Amino acid sequence: MAESANMNVMRQTDRDTAMADVKIDARGVQVFYGDNHAIKDVDVEIGDRMVTAFIGPSGCGKSTFLRCLNRMNDTIPGCRVEGQLKLDGEDIYDRRVDPVQLRAKVGMVFQKPNPFPKSIYDNVAYGPRIHGLTRNKAELDEVVEKSLRRAALWNEVKDRLAAPGTGLSGGQQQRLCIARAVATSPEVLLMDEPCSALDPIATAQVEELIDELRSRFAVVIVTHSMQQAARVSQKTAFFHLGNLVEFGETAQIFTNPHDPRTESYITGRIG
Amino acid sequence: MSVLATNTPRKGSLLAVDDRTRRRNAAERRFQIYGRIAIGIAIAALAVLLFTIVNNGASAFRQTFLVLDIPLEEKVLDKSGTRDIEAMKKVTTIGYGKLIDKALQDAIAAQGIAVEGLTDKDVKNMISKEAAGLLRDRVLSQPDLVGQTLRAKVLANGRIDGYIKGRVSYESAERDSNVTPAQLRLADALKDAGILSRKFNWDFITTADASELRPESAGLGVAILGSAYMMIVVLVLSLPIGVATSIYLEEFAPQNRFTDLIEVNISNLAAVPSIVYGILGLALFINFAGLPQSAPIVGGLVLTLMTLPRIVIPTRAALRSVPPSIRDAALGIGASKMQSVMHHVLPLAMPGILTGTIIGLAQALGESAPLLLIGMVAFVRDFPGAPPEGFFDPAAALPVQVYNWTQRSDPAFVERASGAIIVLLIFLLAMNAVAIVLRRKFERRW
Repeated sequence: MAESANMNVMRQTDRDTAMADVKIDARGVQVFYGDNHAIKDVDVEIGDRMVTAFIGPSGCGKSTFLRCLNRMNDTIPGCRVEGQLKLDGEDIYDRRVDPVQLRAKVGMVFQKPNPFPKSIYDNVAYGPRIHGLTRNKAELDEVVEKSLRRAALWNEVKDRLAAPGTGLSGGQQQRLCIARAVATSPEVLLMDEPCSALDPIATAQVEELIDELRSRFAVVIVTHSMQQAARVSQKTAFFHLGNLVEFGETAQIFTNPHDPRTESYITGRIG
Repeated sequence: MSVLATNTPRKGSLLAVDDRTRRRNAAERRFQIYGRIAIGIAIAALAVLLFTIVNNGASAFRQTFLVLDIPLEEKVLDKSGTRDIEAMKKVTTIGYGKLIDKALQDAIAAQGIAVEGLTDKDVKNMISKEAAGLLRDRVLSQPDLVGQTLRAKVLANGRIDGYIKGRVSYESAERDSNVTPAQLRLADALKDAGILSRKFNWDFITTADASELRPESAGLGVAILGSAYMMIVVLVLSLPIGVATSIYLEEFAPQNRFTDLIEVNISNLAAVPSIVYGILGLALFINFAGLPQSAPIVGGLVLTLMTLPRIVIPTRAALRSVPPSIRDAALGIGASKMQSVMHHVLPLAMPGILTGTIIGLAQALGESAPLLLIGMVAFVRDFPGAPPEGFFDPAAALPVQVYNWTQRSDPAFVERASGAIIVLLIFLLAMNAVAIVLRRKFERRW
């Protein structure tokens, strides 16, 4: 898909994902927490410039798998990842890969909004600062503004950038976290149930935002809500008890699932 | 009939309180009463403590002085007439003492005070033995005073001071070899004449300790300076080492048997009696490393050993109380572990760390047992020099000075010991106030 593709073209190709570039390629991924085999032999291809949703009942391993993609699982003692995970053809679990560098490329938004107890400006500027992305204050100001605009928060906070980020409402805080993740110019954006702590209005805003973000990033979203997956994603992966049961285009998963377990879940019989 | 047997809804009015509820309410009420009694006892104990100390010690800050016009005769103090310091130093305190005695005799004569049964020696003994030395120091520092008549405050003897403060009476003077009732009558007369009076005594805070026979001139200066030097050593060593240790153990160290062992031992070290650290310090710093005895550097090192676990434990608790979501947030945008700790976790843990550190320092400031073993109990008349050399000079410490003074026989030292406790408590209160202020200042919500 061309770099310059505008939104209208994107809309027309919403469901036409087969030709998208593969951003992350997972083959035979196994995750163990000590003796507990949490993820069993998962193969997934995450396409660039589209939203991939992971759905499934609680404890099915979808969040665990998501955290493998930027090696956040490294911080959990006793966690072991096997198999192959490639970002643009490079193994992210290669010994030479510094997880810090990886996480600059693969940003993450967490379930609970977790802004730093600093000003709104400092929250967004933190990533560019530590990665040395800007040369001076003016550039940094620009990155902050652009990121906040991209997170659809600029108009609400432009007059109080020095106010603490923790003073915003829940939905605003989550959009601030998205702006913070976007500010480091990542290639992939991972979202771990980004709307589960938000009210319906804030959820709608964040969903709209996710839809816009896919014009620039590969977005992977873990969600509890099947409606949300249906609304925002182009591809959906259904996890159950650590297995990837079915992976395909969202429309197909929700209208014509191949696996009986997927059908049971989306019709509300399991989970 | 039990609920199990019938399994039917329970009947009964809401307005009638049943037995079980009554018993539960009574238990709760009893618990609250016990709590109030406990708090009441604690407050009463504190009030008694403060009252006793202030009652005994407040008078240490006021001292009895004689205000005399002392003629500083040139023919006595500077025979050469050149105001040469070296030549003037040849005149000992005896020469100055005679001038003060004469000034007092003249004042008594001028006021027309006549007291029976009083020898010249008795009159002379009403003046502190320290007075001549103080006057000599003053004249040697200002040689121009020679030849003038100086109106000066002269310390009265400790017994006269005791009489003015109500510690000595005519009855006790009868039995006392150091003071006679005639001297007390003279003191009364001098007081009426306005020559003898009580004044605020800065010297108590600024001057050095004095010997057994001169309680009136004993001060806390050396002890305060020694304690301050030790606190500097403790702060400079234990804060960085303690915080770095805590950060490493809490954020970086792998969880295994070895770190568990270290953790248990840190908790144990915090509970080790402080005198054990004194023996360790004696063996390690004085016998092995050859550092001088009675020096603030050794005291500081010993107190650092004692304070370290007391800083590590609250610091680790403060680090642990920072929500993990903050660490995730920092790591999630590509901060390194070190950056996430230094930029986010540490600032958020700061109020807890500072409070822990200041409480640890306050404990170290009030510690006397380990200092006794490394020689800080010695009688030190000379002020330690300026840092850093001053850290190696002999000095006293506030709590040890209190202990020291309570060991002396003259009851005037009891008053001085209580006064020293007041000074110590003021320092401790000030440190706790700083802890509270810093806590408020750095406290942030997340």
